[in-house]
Amino acid sequence: MAFVLTFLLRRLAQGIVVVFLVSFLIFALLRLIPGDPVRIMLGTNVSEVTLEQKAQELGLRDPIPVQYANYIYDLVRGDLGQSYLLGESGGAAPTAQNKQGGQITAEAELAREAEIKTARAPVLKLIGDGLPFTLQLAGLGLLFTFLVALPLGLSGGLKPERWQAKLAFFTGSLFISLPNFWLALVLILLISSKANLLPSIGYKGFAYTILPAIVLAVELAPVIIRGLSVSVAGSMQQGFVDGGIVRGLPWSRIVWRHVVRNASIPMLNLFGVQIGGLLLGGVFVTEYIFDYPGIGKLTIQAVLQRDFPIIQGVAILAAGVLVLVNILVDLIATYIDRRLKY
Amino acid sequence: MTAEIISAEAPARAMRGESMTRRMFRQAWRMRGFQIGLAIFAVLVLTAIILPELSGTTATKPSVKERFLPPIFLEKGTWAHIAGTDQLGRDLFVRSLVGLRNALGIGIASVVLMFVLGTGLGIISGYRGRWVDTILMRITDAQLSVPLIVLAITILGVTRPNFGTIIAVLVLSGWPIYARVARSVTLAERQREYVRGAKILGASDTRIMLLMIAPNVLPPIAFVAVLDVARMMIFEALFGFIGIGVQPPTPTFGNIIADGTKYIVNHWWIPTMPGVLLIIALLSINLMGSALERARNKIFAGA
Amino acid sequence: MAEPILQVRDVCVDLVRAGQARPVLRNISFDLAERQALGIIGESGSGKTVLSRVVIGAVSPPLRAVKGEVLYRGANLLEMNRADIQRLRGKEFGYIGNNPGGTLDPTIPVGEQIVEKLRAVEPKLSRKEAVERTITLMAAVRLPRPETRFHEFPFQYSGGMMQRALIVDALVTNPAFLIADNVTQPLDVTIAAQIIRLMHDLREDFRTAIIFVSSSLAVVREIADDIIVLNEGEIVERTTPEQMIRAPSHEYSRRLLERIPRIWTAEVKSVAPPTDRDRAILRVDDVHKTYRVPDPSRFFGHNRVEAVRGVSFEVKAGENFGIVGESGCGKSTLSRLLSWVEEPDKGTIHFEDADIAKMNRRKLLDLRCQFQLLLQDPYNAMPPHMPVGRIIAEPLLVHRQGSRKEVREHVLEVMNEVGLAASLYESLLVGLSAGQRQRINLARALVLRPRLLILDETLSALDQVEQSRLLEIFERLQAEHGFTYIFISHDLAMVRRACSRIAVMYLGKIVELADNQTVFFNPGHPYTKALLSAVPTIEQRRYDTKECLLEGEPPSPIDIPPGCSFKPRCPLAFERCWNEEPALIERQARGHSACFWANATEAELIDAARTGRVRRDSVTEPALPARAAAGE
Repeated sequence: MAFVLTFLLRRLAQGIVVVFLVSFLIFALLRLIPGDPVRIMLGTNVSEVTLEQKAQELGLRDPIPVQYANYIYDLVRGDLGQSYLLGESGGAAPTAQNKQGGQITAEAELAREAEIKTARAPVLKLIGDGLPFTLQLAGLGLLFTFLVALPLGLSGGLKPERWQAKLAFFTGSLFISLPNFWLALVLILLISSKANLLPSIGYKGFAYTILPAIVLAVELAPVIIRGLSVSVAGSMQQGFVDGGIVRGLPWSRIVWRHVVRNASIPMLNLFGVQIGGLLLGGVFVTEYIFDYPGIGKLTIQAVLQRDFPIIQGVAILAAGVLVLVNILVDLIATYIDRRLKY
Repeated sequence: MTAEIISAEAPARAMRGESMTRRMFRQAWRMRGFQIGLAIFAVLVLTAIILPELSGTTATKPSVKERFLPPIFLEKGTWAHIAGTDQLGRDLFVRSLVGLRNALGIGIASVVLMFVLGTGLGIISGYRGRWVDTILMRITDAQLSVPLIVLAITILGVTRPNFGTIIAVLVLSGWPIYARVARSVTLAERQREYVRGAKILGASDTRIMLLMIAPNVLPPIAFVAVLDVARMMIFEALFGFIGIGVQPPTPTFGNIIADGTKYIVNHWWIPTMPGVLLIIALLSINLMGSALERARNKIFAGA
Repeated sequence: MAEPILQVRDVCVDLVRAGQARPVLRNISFDLAERQALGIIGESGSGKTVLSRVVIGAVSPPLRAVKGEVLYRGANLLEMNRADIQRLRGKEFGYIGNNPGGTLDPTIPVGEQIVEKLRAVEPKLSRKEAVERTITLMAAVRLPRPETRFHEFPFQYSGGMMQRALIVDALVTNPAFLIADNVTQPLDVTIAAQIIRLMHDLREDFRTAIIFVSSSLAVVREIADDIIVLNEGEIVERTTPEQMIRAPSHEYSRRLLERIPRIWTAEVKSVAPPTDRDRAILRVDDVHKTYRVPDPSRFFGHNRVEAVRGVSFEVKAGENFGIVGESGCGKSTLSRLLSWVEEPDKGTIHFEDADIAKMNRRKLLDLRCQFQLLLQDPYNAMPPHMPVGRIIAEPLLVHRQGSRKEVREHVLEVMNEVGLAASLYESLLVGLSAGQRQRINLARALVLRPRLLILDETLSALDQVEQSRLLEIFERLQAEHGFTYIFISHDLAMVRRACSRIAVMYLGKIVELADNQTVFFNPGHPYTKALLSAVPTIEQRRYDTKECLLEGEPPSPIDIPPGCSFKPRCPLAFERCWNEEPALIERQARGHSACFWANATEAELIDAARTGRVRRDSVTEPALPARAAAGE
């Protein structure tokens, strides 16, 4: 028990550091790169004065560490800030430009400020709205992945010289050579347009998740296939396999209880590190292509529009999730293989 | 297990001096997958270098009367344009080949850089240990938690993307894996008796790292590097597709496909055929890489 | 004569590799009767391991049985289907190999795995009954605290304990016969002796026949009624152990017998101890080394592993100094300290009157040329990716001595001295035998012309023949160049042959330090006696096993209690031993011994043992992780 606690304490502490590191990196990066979000927010027909005023208000003219400190302060109180651009309903926030063009008087501007400020959506809410969709997509994608990758990977590892391994290897190579955006296009063309079997763009029901999930699965499957084959094959080489044979254990027991158990440790590791990253990246792009209303689409749009708070929020969320997954994975690994504790 | 029995009983057979890496390549050479992959790859590269020069300007010069020609296997296709032409009458095959050149260039350059950077840092970190190691590990952790896409869009979305910046972003996102693998191999090798023996001899740390550890780090990483070339090429295409890659008029897979997307319904070949060429290139590279991986597994299992 | 349970008839087995078949076993025939103990002796390469697997029908590619049958109660094992033979293996056969640490799944507790096997074979058994039977058996093989052991994992078991557990695993189904393949080789001498005695005793309680396979006649003789001698895949002799020792009939057996090192009856040449006037080339003064190892059972806790606790000795120029001990005694750590790979926490080491600790980098580098360390593991001691010539040349390259041409010449010269063919210059290590590798190791050490050579278990991985040859090379080189050797080993026979003075280590201290003759024929420390009594030999034993043999395992070097560290297992321990730790006491009968009985007479000792002026502690157990951390 003591071990678990020390482990958790140590890893959580490190994890928090990592999350901070990541968030600071993104934070600083955004502000160092040219391109002024305020300008995007307010449009081009706005006076310099107003621009500066707005920037000051948002704290964008303070030195970066100060900005960061304020951000963290808000963060620990649960406030991730508000989107620069998106409104409560998710659409574009009313900007000074929405109204009739031409010069705008100072008071009118100020009035509009008040309006704009209350109308911008809190990042937390935006993330909260998109998260379930993304989770659904990720879940379905993982399901498809396992359906394909598990049998291929297992049989590839158990019988490395036979056709199963060759099949696994070729499938893996093929899938990994398909660019996800190309595949998305082709699937949309064939299945959605021509054959009209499944819907593709946007979201009006669960069926909209299927095509994106397939694309995701094609991206993830090769990694799992390879990882599984290697770890199962590695386990099969171990002394206890032969030990089991000479001791008279039934072959099925040797494989399903001992080999798989031992193979799961490197697999867990793979899971924590690689799949987490891949899933994240893959989800983002897939959502963007299919116009699927999840966090990925949100983030990519945010980046293209320089909507800092959303980017920061998602970065923290992503980093935090990855850190937690890693910790969980390591903990489970020490449970399965006690040697790791020592 | 049987391997142990046999090696205890078999007569000794010495092998001509050859490094592990070379042996790995030799093994892979004999594998069908590798041969096929290499063959296709070689053909593609040669074609990509030669053909666009031969066909002159068909890649970039628009030609009104040749618009929307379908590829060879549909009716109305001609041999002059095997993959068809796009909305401006430009030959798709030649454009794709030029795109392939660029993709390969970016892919190989970025992998070489991330390999050197990552492996070097990994070996140093694994060998020195202590806080150098911890810092590096946390940096890689942090790096790994940022998906490449987000990083790429953030940086490339604002600065003007060119070959240099794209390669830089790819290297930035890719080096941690090499560092990690190099580090774990280093940690394992560091314990080995012969490293201890070398230290007793008085060999300096740099010497040990370069001569003893580095050669053992190469085999596990070599195939990762090959596979990464393919991976980087996909990313480069993806960037182009989203709009943050090399900008037109320089043709890259990304922007060719992106441009062609709006024509997909009636002239489906415009975005699709370039993708096919890319896939063939990637497949060939992946075949080679996987063969290398299997070769390495065989060598380590005692071939 | 009862019907034999196992009949091996004319078995021929080939090894098929890359299309080529090489015969491994030819015309093997023998019977095994109920409750018989059969020994099979052969050197490495004789095919004995293949034979041990043939007997349970485990012949799988690349091995192929081309002829013959193995009849177990009439049924041919070589032609059975997988399911039937698996059932037989579980229920009727028991197999114990020489890789105790790797036989079980490392992620599941040992006891559970034994129960798993038991219940697979006897499905009607309830879990409770299976667990009970396992624990009872674990107690019978003298595993301390079996209820706790049951739930521990393989890595928490020491080698000896694991062998006992595997014996339990083999016997738990009350099999018809048991095969033990080289089971004592990976174990310490005293532990191996315990295991052999255990197997001997168990024969009384179980109806099991035993096939005991080994390369050592001395070991086999303790257990077997009859023996078979195997040479290059063929049976060359069938006899009894005593008959074999007295009058072997086959030429090969005779040669085998000759090669077995004699400990008690040999004439040991050139082991005259140096006089006090000779120079000391190495002086070790009160050296200590303690490691801090994290303790996972406590919050941020650490354990102190006292690997070396106050070791002092001198090595004179030109002599052969031996350091012996079993796992956990600290000799590996000591070798690291002597070669200055690690520094002692306390105490000094002087090389030719210069304190190593005070040397600057320059002088330390020079020092590396003066003395060399040769390691045990021929498979890991050298970089696998460099050719032989390069490996040997490495020291010269590191110290930048000589041009390329000179280096090459020198390397070839040294290769010649150690008996390596010049044609191996470009070869890689892969495929070379252990003997050849150790020669390369030696060549690499010699190339700088050192004065002192530390040989840390260097010969342990080699078989008798290779050992002999290498020892001859050592002797020759010593005569030519005047080397000084320090042999660190657990092999008493080798030490008897090669060393002039010997130090015996136990739990981080030297408990006996004397010349060769004294250590073997008049030891002053009860541990030395126990060690000597456990060494397998074909000669008449000098020390009776039953009297001297130790119980239990060496205790752990963590948190060593005060007083003499040997007391829990010592037959002569009394109150003083609990309070005071004996230093090395000079004996009238030559040499030093760290025991309060050092100067007692024979009569006094016998008297003490008999009158019960002794108090035994309960047997303590090792905590494996710590020992592993200390590098033992």
